[in-house]
Amino acid sequence: MAEKRRRLKEAAAAVALGAALGAAPVQGADTARVAEAIRAELEALKSRIRELEKQLAEQRRVEQEVKDLRREVRSAAEWKSPNTLIHMAGYADVGYTDTRSRTGTFGSGTFNPILHYQYRDVVMLESELAMSVDELGETTTELEYLTIDWFANDYVTVVAGKFLSPLGWFRQNLHPSWINKLPSAPAGFGHDQAAPNAEVGVQVRGGVPVSGNGNRLIYAFYVGNGPAAEIESGEIEMIETPGLGGDADGKKVFGGRLGLYFPGRRLELGLSGAAGRVGEIEEVGKSRKYTGVTRDYDFLGADFTWRPRQFEVRGEWVRQKVGDQPASSAPEGGTWQAWYLQGSYRFMPHKWEVVARLGRYRTPHSEVEQKALGLNYIFASNFVAKLAYEFNDDRGAESSGYEDRLLLQASYGF
Amino acid sequence: MGKRTMAVLAGLAMGPALLMGHAGAVWAEYPPEGDFVRGARLWAENCGRCHNIRDPRELRDDQWITTVYHMRVRGGLTGQDVRDIYTFLKQSN
Repeated sequence: MAEKRRRLKEAAAAVALGAALGAAPVQGADTARVAEAIRAELEALKSRIRELEKQLAEQRRVEQEVKDLRREVRSAAEWKSPNTLIHMAGYADVGYTDTRSRTGTFGSGTFNPILHYQYRDVVMLESELAMSVDELGETTTELEYLTIDWFANDYVTVVAGKFLSPLGWFRQNLHPSWINKLPSAPAGFGHDQAAPNAEVGVQVRGGVPVSGNGNRLIYAFYVGNGPAAEIESGEIEMIETPGLGGDADGKKVFGGRLGLYFPGRRLELGLSGAAGRVGEIEEVGKSRKYTGVTRDYDFLGADFTWRPRQFEVRGEWVRQKVGDQPASSAPEGGTWQAWYLQGSYRFMPHKWEVVARLGRYRTPHSEVEQKALGLNYIFASNFVAKLAYEFNDDRGAESSGYEDRLLLQASYGF
Repeated sequence: MGKRTMAVLAGLAMGPALLMGHAGAVWAEYPPEGDFVRGARLWAENCGRCHNIRDPRELRDDQWITTVYHMRVRGGLTGQDVRDIYTFLKQSN
């Protein structure tokens, strides 16, 4: 660059000298020849200057291009390793249900987007929405969970906000439709049944190695607002566990799950428990309000998973209980209890999978025994088509609301 | 709120950091490089505990970071497990 500038200056000086000489009065033929030669030299120098100017412009253009490219490369690297990451995951399903007492119905199922917003390996925001369309075409949107997870150290994560209940295994880990091997939840493991759905509070959870061969203790302990007993017509209708955003009774519920995972045996065992006091919510006309009365509450659960080769066997038992309360308009307490046992087999390397599930759900009002058989086609690890038939046998005095039904579902996790 | 509840809440929130120290110090790179071979084994052992195993090529490196940290919370993985699994995933996609 500096060299070119020097040459440009020399050329300009030569041009000036030539011009001066050209302007001087000359005499004779020799002088004319000299003048002609100088003129030719001058033209050559002018041409050279134009050429150098062109080269200089080209060089400037290339320098600018390099600068732009460097900026672009820096920008691309930002995408590879930023301190903050945003990621969308989730799942969606569509399906068809045919029961004996009603005509077959297409269902849009649910759309559950999950947002992850993470700062390095320090903190992560996680949130899931559950969107669905009901029979009348109304779209409902619910906040499934919203937590801020602080990775305190390698063995402890502090989770605060509204979280999926860590009690049991199905509700916190198996209920998403692309994971659940049947199109329906086991009886008693749906919303506001025997297995708690969500909680609002704070929990600590994580895993700790317990031997050199990979065995691990998995734990989760929490304190939260707790559920509420829904009172209707002098009875406890259900135990509401949607993750209540308030705690009118002022009494917290404490609980957790301890699990042991033996990877060598492909076996996982878990025990869950919770206790505390819960409030009552009573429907008065169209409004719902806390009665100001509290009751004892406890939960017990046990679960296991065993995955020998292409088989998978799972089982879970849960029991949720609220105590008697003479001061209540529904003085008698109640127990909601459910269990299921599920086996599946995948025909490797093919994409077909068969599933069978047996379970029972008992409430103070009803009891149902459920059997389900299913056939799945796994298009991709996260895209599954399911066909199943559920046999539901009422065993209690009142109807459980469950009917025999054919279920078709396509589910996609992303 | 009772004193007992407040003490439990404070313990849940601050106890882990006070007792065990905060490992989330700012590293030059995150997650730090883990063990590829151990990561491959942990990927095979853990992902299928709940769902079908996902192919490493299904996501980009940055998407795998958030995914493995999400699974750390869900599946009770340790921090080292996550670093090893991520190392395997990013080198295999």
